[in-house]
Amino acid sequence: MKLMFDLPPADEAVIPAPEPGEKRMYCLPFNYLEGMIVKGYMLFTNRHIYKVLEGLLLNTWDVSRMSEFTIEQMFGCSGLYAHVDGKSHCLCLFNSGRNLPRYSVVLTSFQAIVEEHDETILTSEEPERFCPKCGRPFVQHTTICPFCQDKKKIYKKLWGMTRGLRLLMFFPLGVALLSLVFRFVVPAIQRVAIDEYIIPQNDDPTSIRSFILIIVAIVSIDLIQRAVGVVQSRISATSANRFTLMLRSVLFEKIQTLSLSSVQKKSTGDLMGRINNDVAVVQNFITNLLPSYLSMLFSFVFALVILLVMSPLMSLFVFIPIPFALTGIILFRKTVNRRNVRAWILTRRTDTHLQDTLDGIRVVKSYGNEEKAVRDFKANTTKQARQEESNASLFDTVFPLFGFLLRFGNYLILLFGNLWVFGGTMTIGELNQFNTYASIIYEPILQITVIPRSISAFSTSLGKILEILEEEPEIYDAPAADHVKLKGEISIRNVTFGYFSYHPILKHINVDIKKGEMIGIVGHSGCGKTTLINLIMRLYDVTQGAIYMDGKDIREISQDSLRTQMGVVLQETHLFSGSVRDNLKYAMPQATNEEVIRAAKLANAHDFIMRLPEGYNSMVGEKGYSLSGGERQRIAIARALIHDPALLILDEATAALDTETEKLIQDAIDRVAHGRTTLVIAHRLSTLRNADRILVLDHGKVAEFGTHLELLQSKGIYYKLVMSQARQAQEKD
Amino acid sequence: MQDTEEIKALFDKRESIPLTPKNATFTRSEGGLISLTLHYPDKEDEYFERVVPLRAFPITDPEDYISIREPDTIDKGHGDEIGLIDHMADFDEETQKMLRAELNRHYFTPELTKIQKVTEKFGYLYFECTTSAGPVTFVMSNPYSNFRSFEDGRVFLYDIDGNCFQITDPAKLDKASLRKIEIYL
Repeated sequence: MKLMFDLPPADEAVIPAPEPGEKRMYCLPFNYLEGMIVKGYMLFTNRHIYKVLEGLLLNTWDVSRMSEFTIEQMFGCSGLYAHVDGKSHCLCLFNSGRNLPRYSVVLTSFQAIVEEHDETILTSEEPERFCPKCGRPFVQHTTICPFCQDKKKIYKKLWGMTRGLRLLMFFPLGVALLSLVFRFVVPAIQRVAIDEYIIPQNDDPTSIRSFILIIVAIVSIDLIQRAVGVVQSRISATSANRFTLMLRSVLFEKIQTLSLSSVQKKSTGDLMGRINNDVAVVQNFITNLLPSYLSMLFSFVFALVILLVMSPLMSLFVFIPIPFALTGIILFRKTVNRRNVRAWILTRRTDTHLQDTLDGIRVVKSYGNEEKAVRDFKANTTKQARQEESNASLFDTVFPLFGFLLRFGNYLILLFGNLWVFGGTMTIGELNQFNTYASIIYEPILQITVIPRSISAFSTSLGKILEILEEEPEIYDAPAADHVKLKGEISIRNVTFGYFSYHPILKHINVDIKKGEMIGIVGHSGCGKTTLINLIMRLYDVTQGAIYMDGKDIREISQDSLRTQMGVVLQETHLFSGSVRDNLKYAMPQATNEEVIRAAKLANAHDFIMRLPEGYNSMVGEKGYSLSGGERQRIAIARALIHDPALLILDEATAALDTETEKLIQDAIDRVAHGRTTLVIAHRLSTLRNADRILVLDHGKVAEFGTHLELLQSKGIYYKLVMSQARQAQEKD
Repeated sequence: MQDTEEIKALFDKRESIPLTPKNATFTRSEGGLISLTLHYPDKEDEYFERVVPLRAFPITDPEDYISIREPDTIDKGHGDEIGLIDHMADFDEETQKMLRAELNRHYFTPELTKIQKVTEKFGYLYFECTTSAGPVTFVMSNPYSNFRSFEDGRVFLYDIDGNCFQITDPAKLDKASLRKIEIYL
């Protein structure tokens, strides 16, 4: 993200010369001043903050006199506030959407300057949301600017991807051209039939024979054309499916290899949209629209050339109605769009209302508001129906009119053609042929307004797909990454990490964990517990420092071997659709039934699984038995244990459970923790009573680390937490 | 489990009181913001170097129910409500003006006076307009949900950056401007 904007020369001129040791840190735009929208800049140095607008220096603040930097989000805009000599000041107002992330960096940086005299210039890895070239927003969740994207590059990439499919892709095109040729041949043969045999009306046997031959030719060409058409549709169905298959699998494979951080930046819905909708758009364009557009183009050019060759004068008549029809179509397109949008909006409104009332049907009924709901719904659907009726009747009147307008060329041809035929300069057959070709020219014109839109939809979708395909995974195996058998010793050395560089979540963490220890991790929400776990699992790479397992930097261990030797249970248990057995075997598909039962027993899950009607073969997940939270949690623990991991991680695994279930899980945890390194994040401290040591995190730093007793005696944060929970428990009783 | 800090914050919240000209004096602060002095019958005055006014009903009742709050700070988090002004009109002109200026800065909604151009491309609407705050260009993502009409005829337009623009009476817009947006109303 850009944090150093260029000052316009006029603004640059009014900035005073830097003091010795003064360095420019950030330069950001501000957008509002006294109720007006402006384009000014805030220049932040380590000594001063300057506010400039169109060559005027509005303010200068002395950083040494400032404190308490804050950002307040308002309605659309945000403000940067600070204390100057202990008094509140509003430094500037800016556009939240565009500049809030930038000012957040500055805020963090200036807090560090004021509090710790740390003058490091921070950077931000957060992606820009606006095109640096034109300032327009990128397509949501992407870095594609639909106005500036390099179309050539995209098409080249796509071309490279189609290797192996090209024959299938071009077949429909080839066939389309073939049928085009037939289309042009038939009128020519018809001309011969008319001029040579029908008009002369001579009945000698040879000419009747040739006439029959011509009829046979016309019929067989028609037959061949249809046969080709059948083959074409069958092939294009195949090529469409192959293309979709290829794109989808490439895309899905890529998403799976991307690191969690980049996948999490996109929503599930967005990713699904790319795999389903965008692929469909691209496929439809390549296999259906493109061949038909190309054949339209060819037939247009072809017909044009032939018409000009046959009779330049007569071709003039063909073109007379085109400008009129074209202007009409383009003008009418606006009305069509407007009416379609209106209909679409009304449909949406009805849908939303419908969903709202159906979702909230209990509320509607319990307040006795059914009548109002019905009334509202009727009002909405009536409006929608009226709009659609009026659209349909207008479109159905106007479109045939355009058709008629274009056909006007044909009428002119017939009129003048007949005059020429009477005059003997043209035959009836030629006239028929000419007229048929003229109709071919008109076809693409009716389509002309749709084409640009489908091309732009195609290139946007393609861009979205390619964006994923080109993304470099942030976490990758070192070239010499080893497969290591882990024992479970962890040492965390001076680790600092933040999802955004300007916002470190963990700061200078130093922790050593011995093999087989059970470590409890506590701290208030947001203190970095889960982040620490994520780092140990290497879902993210540390910003500074290193994490060692058995003395080896985890970046030098292959991700595969690292994760196959860990078992993880999260608060939100996700069970995949399938049987209990399938779920338990998820981490180790080759597990035997004995191993499955052993893991389930360890996790205190065996008994309740046996009570399910189909035992280990019972279906769970979306379509399966509804299991209680505790049951799901125990299945998750068993799943984590199946491959006998050296390291077991439980992230708030007992947070949402009642006391009794917690007891069961507690027992399970104590049992499974035996002899393996276990990290347990828990809100409920009773879960940790058997932990060997407890790590207390506070604001991203290690606050306390020791045994239960030691921490109680030191009367720090842990002591307070234990006391407050004990009191709560008492109050409940 | 509740965090101890959270529990503390729960009980430490100050009690909001009704603010009237009798117990509250608003003054312009040194930094150009608003300061407040609270007068109590039984104890000493309480001084706030800066307070933040917020509207409870910014759209329907902008002049009434003004919440006066402490600013958010890094240490203490969100500021508490000091008190509520039922009707701004109860205060003297000067105070009203000061509060209104601050409120208008917070609820920055320029009035659209002319719409030069609206283009639709790739699902976004691109606007070029003249407003009471000067010329703007802005982008709107989903016109269906980002045009908001009110019973009194006002229309709000929200752009993708979270800005809001207002049309008090669409019927008073010039024909060309109105034509560009009427389908969304």
